[in-house]
Amino acid sequence: MSKLKKIFQAYGTLLALAVITLVFSILRPSSFFTVRNLINISRQISLMVIISIGATLVMSINEFDLSIGSMASLGGVMCALMAVGGMPLPLCFLLPVLISLVVGWVNGWIIARFRVLSFITTLGMSTVLSGVIYWLTGGATVFQNIPQGFSWLGTYKFGDIPLLSVLMVIFVILFAFIMRHTVLGRRLYAIGGNEETSKIAGINVGLYKNIAFALSAVLSCITGMLIASRVGSANTTAGDGYFLNSYAAVFIGCTVSRKGIPNVLGTLVGCAILGILSNGLTMLQMPTYMQDIITGAIIILAVILQKLGKGDAK
Amino acid sequence: MKKLVSVVLMLMLALVSVSAVADMAGKQVALMTPYLGSVTTNQMVEYMKADLEARGAVVNVINTNNDFSKLASEVENIAIAGQTDAIVLVSADPSQIANQLQEAFDAGIPVFGCDSGFIEGMQVNATSDNYQMGSLIVHYLFDDLMGGKGTVIALTHRPHPGVVKRCEAFDDIIKDYPDITLITEQHVPAEQPINDAQAIVENLLLANAEKDSVTAIWAAWDEPAIGATQALKEAGRDEVIVTGVDGNQQAVALVAEGGNLKATVAQNFKGMGEIVVAEMEKLFNGEEIVKGEQYAPATIITMENVADFQE
Repeated sequence: MSKLKKIFQAYGTLLALAVITLVFSILRPSSFFTVRNLINISRQISLMVIISIGATLVMSINEFDLSIGSMASLGGVMCALMAVGGMPLPLCFLLPVLISLVVGWVNGWIIARFRVLSFITTLGMSTVLSGVIYWLTGGATVFQNIPQGFSWLGTYKFGDIPLLSVLMVIFVILFAFIMRHTVLGRRLYAIGGNEETSKIAGINVGLYKNIAFALSAVLSCITGMLIASRVGSANTTAGDGYFLNSYAAVFIGCTVSRKGIPNVLGTLVGCAILGILSNGLTMLQMPTYMQDIITGAIIILAVILQKLGKGDAK
Repeated sequence: MKKLVSVVLMLMLALVSVSAVADMAGKQVALMTPYLGSVTTNQMVEYMKADLEARGAVVNVINTNNDFSKLASEVENIAIAGQTDAIVLVSADPSQIANQLQEAFDAGIPVFGCDSGFIEGMQVNATSDNYQMGSLIVHYLFDDLMGGKGTVIALTHRPHPGVVKRCEAFDDIIKDYPDITLITEQHVPAEQPINDAQAIVENLLLANAEKDSVTAIWAAWDEPAIGATQALKEAGRDEVIVTGVDGNQQAVALVAEGGNLKATVAQNFKGMGEIVVAEMEKLFNGEEIVKGEQYAPATIITMENVADFQE
């Protein structure tokens, strides 16, 4: 294997991230590579990172959760409605998490118990959740009579550092640790590697699938609540935009790992690439269609480079 | 004698006033919509129902919960039953149920639209003129708020048939202002426009960090205007002016706060209902009505009149 290939294999995606950052720094020297903008980017990607960690967990067992977008929307809507209803704020942010835990557990249970494809199950669940959102809101954005304190989580800052960025770092460290150093993480990867072998090895596959889907739903719900808190209103489709981007981030993240498996730090890198592209291209005042073309092309390029590096491209 | 005259006079007066409302007495009107859950649709339906009932009509509200095929069936049912004197389609595109509406036309049932659309065979559709709303706010921004000069960022969403008309107004008007420069136009996706607009504006503010480098942000509807306002507030850029369109309550509250968001445009949903009821009355009276779209004039909401629009 040539030296270049080795470099691509190990650091291809990180290299791409560095190149993108370098290009923007040259083109916008006074505004892009500044502490202020880095903090800005960290907050802008924070919500995507949190929801994408959930997608990473589910993908680590070789499944998909298509309900993360509507779960996020529902999380925001539930939280906002409870706040409007006068419930104490801590409860407004806690109860939806418990509800999402149940929803995710049901997803996992159906998939494991009846061996239904996760695509179909979570697609169905996504439709159910959209229905519930409509039922709760009549399709209208929840805004009126939201108490002041509701926006605290989404807007608080420690000096210059937004609480959202801090939350992102906490979630990344927590889940990177869980996936690498705990029984839970190792078993999830084992199931993703080979479900049958894991079963023979005595792993309770059903239980771990439930856990993965439950965590995915909880992280989606938290993301949705944070979106609502950040903007001060709960849009009934707020989470939809995160669905495809989060999987794009996980796929880019897979290329960071040598084995090409989903991993939390990789997902962070994936989100950072998408976030920096969006930030930098907007700063260059690039028209939106160009942003889409460039972002899509870079996602494809990143995966091709990694495949080339691995030597399994024909 | 005096008494007799006054009694006769009162009787005559009473007769006259009864005949004024009697044109609609007993008329069966169906208000049909797939979107009764939407706040504005609900408003229009409630308004028209009250107005029609006050005039003696019997109103039947039919809501099909987002289901256009059910709406189509309901129109068929009404056409077959033939007992309804008028149909009002509220917030629903008539071209999606054109065949069923044709059955109503054939059965001689007049069909009105309220914030819907117009197809051949209908009487009148009352709606907002998006181009007019766009030009109203653009002129207010360029003339009254910017004084004819400065730089502007446009936040748009051209795939939407209503929003694109506002953008066209913006495109046409900015040509007449050589001293106003468009810094950039950014497309805001519709799923979470507040959050996305906030991120876009944060980034643009960093790229245009000098005070007064951005004079104004023109948003083609209220959600991106809200996101832009939040980003400006956080960045401490008090000097940047923001305007929206739609008059949604979150935006109205921000206008009242007196921050960056200076103005928005209220769509006149009540006015649309008024047009429909007035035109229907003319029709029942046997008067000529001009078929086609009719526009309810929109109103600019600024600090001066914002109190009238707060719920």
